[in-house]
Amino acid sequence: MLGMEAEMLKGHLDAIVLAALEAGPAHGYAIIETIKQRSVGTFDLPEGTVYPALHRLEQAGLLSSTWTTPPNGRRRRVYALTRAGSSALGERRKAWGRFSQAVDTALGGGRT
Amino acid sequence: MSGVIDDYVAALRRELDFDPALARRLASEVEDHLRDAAEADPAWPSPDAERRAVERFGLGREIAAQFAADAVDRQARRTWITLAVTVVVTFVAMRLRVIWLDDDVLALAPLIDRYAFIAALTVGVIAWFAFRQSLAALAICLGGLIASIAAGIVRADLFVDDAPIHVLLSAAGEIALIGVLSFHVIALGRRLKRTAGLRRPELQETGQ
Repeated sequence: MLGMEAEMLKGHLDAIVLAALEAGPAHGYAIIETIKQRSVGTFDLPEGTVYPALHRLEQAGLLSSTWTTPPNGRRRRVYALTRAGSSALGERRKAWGRFSQAVDTALGGGRT
Repeated sequence: MSGVIDDYVAALRRELDFDPALARRLASEVEDHLRDAAEADPAWPSPDAERRAVERFGLGREIAAQFAADAVDRQARRTWITLAVTVVVTFVAMRLRVIWLDDDVLALAPLIDRYAFIAALTVGVIAWFAFRQSLAALAICLGGLIASIAAGIVRADLFVDDAPIHVLLSAAGEIALIGVLSFHVIALGRRLKRTAGLRRPELQETGQ
């Protein structure tokens, strides 16, 4: 069974994937490694969970993907943020900022 | 001899059989991922390294279920768009029949033409707000539209040799659209059933 953090993460996975690609194009494995490093192990979803999110974001036009073959390397599908994806990430960051501030306030209201 | 990763990828491909193009693409992508993960394992090369990479990736059935759920959303959207277009075209064709044909307003066919359409539209509007993925609601809508179109055909006496060409063309357009809509409703039904099967394996095993 997924832990509480994993359940909470599922609702925000698309935004987290977009953020992981902000620094530049990457393939699925690298995206998951970036997410793990940034969350310092807090986000421990099954690695395969990211692929439906990548596919969904690509269908929505927020990501683009191409097959690339590095010299002496394995052929990989590399994902990149589109212009719409960058805008969507900015909007989701703002929305998250408002939401987390509201939750902080609500939770803080119970303190004595 | 096939390895742990090969077996996993083959099983995932079978689970994604509802979308062959996606299955091909994802199989290749997932295999790359798993080989990267296994190579990063200290025990590489070994079956244990492959097994740990597969375990971290998650159950193929659960991943396929997420793809299937997304496919249901897309199919539902396509079906509703087709339904909206069909409703508009059926309405326009119905109004044109009123202009073009001089039939008895108390005859049965005009009444069915009108009220089956109104019923289909009412159910469609309710279903849009209440349950967008309900096959029953879509089937009622589809039935109403088919009844309306069939009544329109009877009303226009299309089986009579001297039916006006514009009446024939508008009826052909309606029939073509209802065919496309039926295809989408059936496709949605299949995808809903497949998603339910992936989420509840026992349904598939018993063939329900």
